[in-house]
Formats: sequence, structure tokens, C-alpha cells
Amino acid sequence: MCQDYIYDKEMEQIAKEEQRKAWKMQGKTTHKLCVKLREKYSTWEPTKRELELLRHNPKRRRITSNCTIGLRGLINLGNTCFMNCIVQALTHTPLLRDFFLSDRHKCEMQSNSCLVCEMSQLFQEFYSGHRSPHIPFRLLHLVWTHARHLAGYEQQDAHEFLIAALDVLHRHCKDDNGKKANNPNHCNCIIDQIFTGGLQSDVTCQVCHGVSTTIDPFWDISLDLPGSSTPFWPLSPGGDGSALNGESHTTGATTLTDCLRRFTRPEHLGSSAKIKCSGCHSYQESTKQLTMKKLPIVACFHLKRFEHSAKLRRKITTYVSFPLELDMTPFMASSKESRMNGQYQQAVDPFNNDNKYSLFAVVNHQGTLESGHYTTFIRQHKDQWFKCDDAIITKASIKDVLDSEGYLLFYHKQFLEYE
Amino acid sequence: MKMEDMPLSGPDNTKLESLVHDIYSELVEDACLGLCFEVHRAVKQGYFFLDETDQESMKEFEIVDQPGVDIFGQVYNQWKNKECECPNCKRLIAASRFAPHLEKCLGMGRNSSRIANRRLASNNNMSKSESDQEDNDDLNDNDWSYGAEKKAKKRKSDKNQNSPRRSKSMKHKNGELGTIVTSEPYKYNFNTGISYETLGPDEVRSLLTTQCGVISEHTKKMCTRSQRCPQHTDEQRRAVRVFLLGPSAPTLPDADPVVENDGFDIPDGQTLMSRLQWEDSSDISPTDSASSKASTNPSDSRRPKKKKRPSLGLNSGGGGGGGGGSSSLTGGSSSSQSNISLSTKKKRPKLSAPSIPSIYDDLN
Repeated sequence: MCQDYIYDKEMEQIAKEEQRKAWKMQGKTTHKLCVKLREKYSTWEPTKRELELLRHNPKRRRITSNCTIGLRGLINLGNTCFMNCIVQALTHTPLLRDFFLSDRHKCEMQSNSCLVCEMSQLFQEFYSGHRSPHIPFRLLHLVWTHARHLAGYEQQDAHEFLIAALDVLHRHCKDDNGKKANNPNHCNCIIDQIFTGGLQSDVTCQVCHGVSTTIDPFWDISLDLPGSSTPFWPLSPGGDGSALNGESHTTGATTLTDCLRRFTRPEHLGSSAKIKCSGCHSYQESTKQLTMKKLPIVACFHLKRFEHSAKLRRKITTYVSFPLELDMTPFMASSKESRMNGQYQQAVDPFNNDNKYSLFAVVNHQGTLESGHYTTFIRQHKDQWFKCDDAIITKASIKDVLDSEGYLLFYHKQFLEYE
Repeated sequence: MKMEDMPLSGPDNTKLESLVHDIYSELVEDACLGLCFEVHRAVKQGYFFLDETDQESMKEFEIVDQPGVDIFGQVYNQWKNKECECPNCKRLIAASRFAPHLEKCLGMGRNSSRIANRRLASNNNMSKSESDQEDNDDLNDNDWSYGAEKKAKKRKSDKNQNSPRRSKSMKHKNGELGTIVTSEPYKYNFNTGISYETLGPDEVRSLLTTQCGVISEHTKKMCTRSQRCPQHTDEQRRAVRVFLLGPSAPTLPDADPVVENDGFDIPDGQTLMSRLQWEDSSDISPTDSASSKASTNPSDSRRPKKKKRPSLGLNSGGGGGGGGGSSSLTGGSSSSQSNISLSTKKKRPKLSAPSIPSIYDDLN
């Protein structure tokens, strides 16, 4: 008898199972305000086989905050900076990274043309430790074959590329769940889990005040800017949001919150756009308002800087200030309801962390409408920012990031729930 | 009795203190034991060593934060010579020119369908392999030139591929970029293609007795025209035979059979053209001479709309063009083009021109 503590595998398994059940039980009866944990988090423990492998490979590298692993340049294949900047943003999306690095994609596509597999490969490249820039030619080929409308050697819009890429990934991911249903509302692929939100559109009849609501899925929010041909100011009444996000109005600069307020303001659809009201059974004037029904885990804001109206095509370079931390509560459909019920001042609920977001990637465009260059700022290791300019990755300061013009802004939910 | 109400001294106090002490020590013990057990378990189960990392490796991956170098400590802009294999045609393409190559390779993009249509329309004696060469890979890659801007601008406003203005913008582009045709062949060793590789030496030998056999850079297929095919020079035919039958030759001056001959408007940059070396001086292609308009290339008359291109020599056809070496490795400066010796020979512009309609007008 060695008199030492021992760890019996079976006993441990039983204990683990019981603990898990107890946790689940607890979760069901928990108060609404507490974080909902449906599954007990258990740390990883290596199996015997894994241990053996690890023992044979002593050159272990741990990703610390001063480590370059996870960062890699991308060669420009000929005006493909629009693609490179989106790839940088996606590879630094924490949830997506975790999904791919833990090999969660099981490919069911026959040929070699699965874009999700290519993404997986891309993550492997980024975490390989190689210092030379990666050449994303296969990615380009795959995206062009699957999204023909994008193909063509010309400078393209990064936002367009993002949507097309997400769409192809989403289509290829569907095979993962074995769900053949083409119903976009029921897809549970990783792309939908991370990027898809719900936008609620309420059309209120001016006569009977009946509201007709529709909810549409979205991957990004496109925001109009001041200086475009559509008028920006004035915004709707109600000082929601601006103080909340700590942005100063005194400087006069437009903030992201301003843009969001404008996006969610009630818009009177003039007499030329009468909607058939089911309550009145006739065409009436109405107001329309957009709010967020469901926020995605990663919210992408697209500042509409490229104007392509009939008479002019130009780039709007108005500076828009955006925060590091963003609270989306004032723009939610639920907030709107409480506003409508008379509660104008929204007490900020410190325990409600559902709508708090942190900035993690910014895509910028320098130059003119016809010719320009895209770069990305990405966040790594909590507070370090890096500038990705095709093959060149350099360290950047938070100030650099916040002072930049901003074209695509990527925010990540701060608090996640395990499902 | 509430704790606050308790007097600070008194017999009960010692009990209180010992209680507090008990609680405190239990908390501390719990914390310590917890850690002990964690470590003990790790050692017992054998995974304690996982925490150790290799110091040297870690040092290699430290972030560098100095001006002039990136986070890996590398100097900027040293990645000019990267290459990749096109998933479609399996050729090795310079990475910075992969996108324009792919566009044509896949037959997408505005010009590819035009090119394809023309090719189909005029397909006479041209063998299929030759007609595949439409590549002008090079176009300007990283830098945006005026022409490219125009093209992009146009694209944004009018995505219709059939727009009548398309050709116009292409002309601009052509002029500015002056690319043309593959320069790659001159740059790297010829990658063995599939088609002739699958043939045995005897088959190759017999083929070469009847056919021109010059291997197309683009499709890696051998030219199936007669031994006197005007697209290729004797030099090339000799080289191919050496390559295939004799000791392997290092690089093939690949003929760019394409037809580019006709497509281009004779550029105004004649000087450039004159710097290009032609194998047979006898046929100085009309591009060499100032009066390109006088060229025998009937294709010129086909495109009266084409504007003068300010620069860069496109190998306009005048027979044979093909290939000018546009290499525009980096932004296509004209000087780089002139360094390329054209092996394509426009032997008999008169002869070739008629048979080859300007398919590649823009090649670029």
C-alpha cells in the first residue's frame, strides 16, 4: 500500500457525470439574471495516446501574449487586398478560430471544392508558425468558382466579398449538420451561429396604429453616413445611446451610435409609398422602424462610404468615431417596446451583459473609389492590435485603430453562453 | 446576537476568535490543498510535463516591434518572387499575378467571354490547344494605373458584360498596362505538361516528324500544326525536339502562339517595340515600324475604335504578335518588357493575320 492518493478512472467518471447532472439541474432553476450555463464546463485532459504523442514532441510552444503565432501575412494576388482584409478579420474571430482549430468541420463534399475545408486549412496555416506570408490562391479560386458574380480581376468591394464568402461558407457548412433543409431559418451551421442576427421591421399604420412585423436575417448592418445624398440629420427624438457608449458629441464628429440611432429611427414613408394595412383594409401612410431582434455573436457594421447614385459616384470620407466597447441595448427591439410603453429612460442594467460588444477588427479603405487599398486592424491577446497590410503585419496602437476612418467594423459579444 | 453587537472583550470573544480562526484556516487549507491535488493528479496521471514549453522555440516567436520590419522581424517587400500553381490549368503563376490569370483561366471577367467568342467565331485551322491561349496574365498587378482605374470605374457603374463601352475601357487598360502575354515562360523552367508527358518516346518522336510540336506555354500541349506552321519558329521546333527527345533543355522559349497577333492596336509606343528582339528580322512586325497602321494586319481595320495607346508595347500584332513579353512583374514598366526577347515569330504577318482574327484584343 503506497499510502498515496489514487485516481480511479471509473470513480472519476461517475463523479464527473453526477457533477454534470447537478449542474444542469442548477441551471434550470437559476434566477434569470444569472448567466445561463446549460453545460458544465470541464477542462481538457489528454488521453494516454495524446500523452504519448506529446511526450515524444518536446518542442512545445505556448501562445502567450508576446507570440506571433496566429498572425500571418497574405500575399496580394493582384488587387486582392479586398480578400486579404476579410480573411484577416475572419481568422481573428475567436469563435471561428476555436471552431476550426478544434477540427469541428466534417466535410461531406466529394470534390476538393469545399470552402469550409479551405478555411480550416487557412487556420492551420495561420497557426503553423510560418513567418512567410501565405498565398491564398486556392481560396480565391474557390470563392470565384462558387460566387461567380464576384469573379473578375478588378478591384472589388471588401464588404461584397465578406457577404459572398459567408454565403458560400454557409452553403458548404450545411452539410455539416446533415440538415438538408434549405430553410435559412433552421440552419445551425457555425456561420449562422456566429454571424446571423435578426432584424425586426415594424410598419405602423398611421391610421389604425396596427403594426405589422417582419424579421429578416442579416449578416451585417449597413449604415448611411452624413455627407451622402440621403439626409442624415436630424435624428429621432430620445437621447438614447449616446451617453451610454461614452462617445463625445462635443467634438461634433459623427459616432457609430449616431449612425445606429439613425438606422433604428422611425421613418415616415411618404404618401407615395402607402402600405396596405390589414387593419384598415386600405392603403394608408405608415412609418417604418428597424430594430434588432436578435444580435449575432459577431456584429459587422458596414459604413456606406461608397456612393453609387445615378448622378455621382464617390467615396464619403467623413470621419466616424467608433468605440472599443459597444452596448447595443438601446437598439434592440425589446428596448423599443419598453420605450413605446412609456419608459423613456432606460435604466442601464449592469447585470444584463447580453448586448455588450467589443471591437476586434476594423477594415479600412484608403484611396478613391476607383483605386484604393484595403488594410485591417485586428485584435489579438485581449489588448494588442496589429495592422495587416497584405503581407506586412505590424504592431499598432489602440489610438491608431480608433483614429482610422473605418469601413467595416467587427464587434464580438463579450459574454457568451454555452449551449 | 449580531456580530456587531458583541463587545470586544469578554469570555465570549475567545470563542468567537477561535471560530473565525477556524474558518480562516479552513479556507486557506482548501485553497492550498486544491492546488496540491491538482498538481498531484497531474503528476500521477502523467500530464504534468505539458506545462513546460521549449524556451528556444518561444524566443523565435516573439513579436518584433521596430520600424522598417514587420512583427516577425522581416523586412518589407521581399516577397516578390512567390509562385503558385493554378488549380485550373496547373501552371505555375507568379503569385502577384495570379488573380488576373485566374480570371482568364476560368473564363470569367469581362474580356474572357469576348475572347472566347471571337475565337469560336474564327476557329479555322487553329488547333484547340492554341486557341486556349488567351492568357495575358500580366496585367498590372499591385499598382493601379490610370487604365485600370477606368476599368474598375466602369465596372462599378456597369456590370453588364455586353456593354458597348467595354471594349473602350479595355483599350484604355491595354494601353496603360501594356501587358501582354505571358512573360512567365521566360522566367521559370517549363513545367512538364500533361499532354506530352503521357506519350511515350516513340510516340513523341513520330509526332514530331509530322507536327510542329512546339509546346504551348499555356496548355502544355504540343502544337499540332504542320512543321511549317507560322506560329512558331524553327528555332523553337528544334528546341522542343531537343527537349523531348534529347537531353532535357533547361528552358523553352515558349512560343506564345497565340494569336495575339492581331489583336492589338499598334501601340504608339513604337520605341518599345523596336527594342523587342525578333528572331527573324525580315519580318519585322509592323509594330516595329512607326507606321503601325500600315501593318498588314487586317485586324487593325477591324477595330477602328481602338484608341491609341500611349504606352507599352503590346505586341500588337502585326502578325504574330503574340507574346510580347509583357511581363509587368511589378506594375508593368515598359522597360521590363523590353527585356524579354520574343521568340514568337511573326514570320509572315500577311499569312498569319488573315487566319487569325484578333482574338486577343486585350489580352491584358
